[in-house]
Amino acid sequence: MVPLENYLVLSAVMFSLGVYGVLARRNAVLILMSVELMLNAVSLNFIAYAVYLDPERITGVVFAIFVITIAAAEVGLALAIIINVYRNRSTANVDEVATMRW
Amino acid sequence: MGAADAWILAAIPAAAFLFMAVAGRGLPRQGDYLGVLAIGASFVLFFFVLQDFLSGGSVPVVQDIPWTQIGDFELRMGIFVDQITIVMIAVVSFVALMVNVFSIGYMKGEARYYWYFAVLQIFAASMLMLVMADNLLLLYVAWELVGVSSFLLIGFFWEKRSATEAAKKAFITTRIGDVGLLIGILLLWDATGTFNIQEIIHAVEAGEIGDTRLFVTMAFVFLGAMGKSAQFPFHVWLPDAMEGPTPVSALIHAATMVVAGVYLVARLLPIFELAGGMMLIITIVGLTTALLSGFMAITQTDIKKVLAYSTIGQLGFMFVALGSGEVGAAMFHLMTHAFFKALLFLAAGSVILGTHHNQEMAKLGGLWRKMPITATTFAIGSLALAGAFPLAGFWSKDEILLATQGWSGGWVTILLGFAAVMTAFYTTRLFIRTFLGSPRDKEVYDHARETPLTMTIPLMLLAALAIVSGFVVFQGVGDALGFPGGFPEFVYELTPHKFEIDWGLAAGSTAIFVTGTSFGFWMYWRGRLDRSTAVAEWQPGLYRLIDRKFFIDELYQATIDRVLLGFSYVVSWFDRYVVNDTGVDGSAQMTGYAGYLLKFIQTGRVPNYAMGIALGVLVLAGIALAAGG
Repeated sequence: MVPLENYLVLSAVMFSLGVYGVLARRNAVLILMSVELMLNAVSLNFIAYAVYLDPERITGVVFAIFVITIAAAEVGLALAIIINVYRNRSTANVDEVATMRW
Repeated sequence: MGAADAWILAAIPAAAFLFMAVAGRGLPRQGDYLGVLAIGASFVLFFFVLQDFLSGGSVPVVQDIPWTQIGDFELRMGIFVDQITIVMIAVVSFVALMVNVFSIGYMKGEARYYWYFAVLQIFAASMLMLVMADNLLLLYVAWELVGVSSFLLIGFFWEKRSATEAAKKAFITTRIGDVGLLIGILLLWDATGTFNIQEIIHAVEAGEIGDTRLFVTMAFVFLGAMGKSAQFPFHVWLPDAMEGPTPVSALIHAATMVVAGVYLVARLLPIFELAGGMMLIITIVGLTTALLSGFMAITQTDIKKVLAYSTIGQLGFMFVALGSGEVGAAMFHLMTHAFFKALLFLAAGSVILGTHHNQEMAKLGGLWRKMPITATTFAIGSLALAGAFPLAGFWSKDEILLATQGWSGGWVTILLGFAAVMTAFYTTRLFIRTFLGSPRDKEVYDHARETPLTMTIPLMLLAALAIVSGFVVFQGVGDALGFPGGFPEFVYELTPHKFEIDWGLAAGSTAIFVTGTSFGFWMYWRGRLDRSTAVAEWQPGLYRLIDRKFFIDELYQATIDRVLLGFSYVVSWFDRYVVNDTGVDGSAQMTGYAGYLLKFIQTGRVPNYAMGIALGVLVLAGIALAAGG
């Protein structure tokens, strides 16, 4: 059986990549993808713990399913916003969408 | 109806007040007859109370009900009717009735006619409640109610600025004393655990309060009496209170309300006697007031002002009697003074109305030909006030002079005798310059006329009492009227003192009257002023001092300007610069400035916010790691 640490390391690497993507990217769609990556890393973490620590119950798995559901809803909403922003301003670069400032 | 139902006497005018205040305006004659009826009913019912009280052997009657319960403390409210109360009810209800009748003529055609009579009713009700109250709390409530009615009536002609100013002055000045009274009442309650007057007296006699504490407490109580009874240095409000309608001056500011202080001290005298030194203070305050007011009355030219200072002085006489421990003498003088001073004020009101609102002596003179009834009754009142044998004032003043003989050295008697000489002098001056001599202002004189019967009948009744009310001091008269032993014994059985004419004193008292009166005649006979002018020019400084009333008003004004306004300036500075600018505006500005500084982190760029979140998570994770170790 693959040790738990491997899953955790993979999850951490995926999460860090997601954070890096959110911070470094300027394209709104790519930032959204990075957020998805972070969510998946968290889901992986949940499932790994669920299987290794408490295989009798499915608490962690249920959490993972919730995360997937919410991620889907979030993506739907975010993409709708991005499309609207693009229609209005002809760009998806978050640096150029900065009117809500002092 | 027995003495235990005496509260009805106060309830009738109180009900009349409510009805007249609400519906009086719409009634025919604006309901003035309701006032006469209500007070008249109280006056008639008083005789049933008196009958019951006397047939019960003059034993104090107590009637009370539980009012409220707070923890272990039960507050009871009720009435206490003893000899002092009986005398007070008699004076209050009779003079109030006379004043109500007189007012129908005097106030005819004035604005707010119904309101005037309504307030007279609430005054009568609260004054009757005051003298019947069996506990200090109820007494204090009534005490403030009479103060309010006094305020309302002094300021009755509120279109006149001087009237509103006078009402304010009266209210504030007496209020200073009232605060003292309230503190005194609370201190007594704190020491004895009850508001009931008789229980407090018993507790104090049992020695439940320490000497120093009792002295301080009673000093506070006496402050209240000084304020209400216009004793020096609180006397300044009473002359100004003459701005009110003249019948009000007769009722409130001569016969009844101002003697509330005398009543209070008389009621609590057993305690005052135990509060070491208080009796001397009461005597000195009364004596100072009697002397100063005597001087101040001499130079006044307004009829009512002379009478006002005279009232202050006579109240001083009563306090001297109380300070000498003679409740009987004080209550006796209170009663006779109420009759003859109410008479003098009402007669002055008759002069004022008869001469179309003229009350300056400089414009009067020779009025006896035009107003014979007023002049005769005024003369009787003046003689009684001056202490002429055998009018009422003679007997009561004699009693007080007799009472003062308890003070060793005779200085109290001598000074009070001097005050009595001055009383006779300024009374003579007042009468001569108003009624005798030749008219000084022909137009005023030509238009003067005698006043209608509604006004002269009360004058005649009061004049009759001013003559005969002094005779109750005799044992025989007292027995015949049902007061065993005459007035002094009736009022104060604790120190029974059988009245006998002290011929030496009576001679001295008559000498006082003759001296003062003849000096007055010598100076003002036929209304000439050259002699008094000569005196004024001979001693201009002294004249100015007296004419300006010893600069006491100016002193108060200066004190208020310096101390009160100075303190107000500091307070307003603190409010403006510390509370408002620093506290209110400062906190708003600080919030604004903080917002100004913080707004720059709102860049509007999503990556900056994302970086903030990431850094925040890192910091929290670091803290969690450090704490979790």
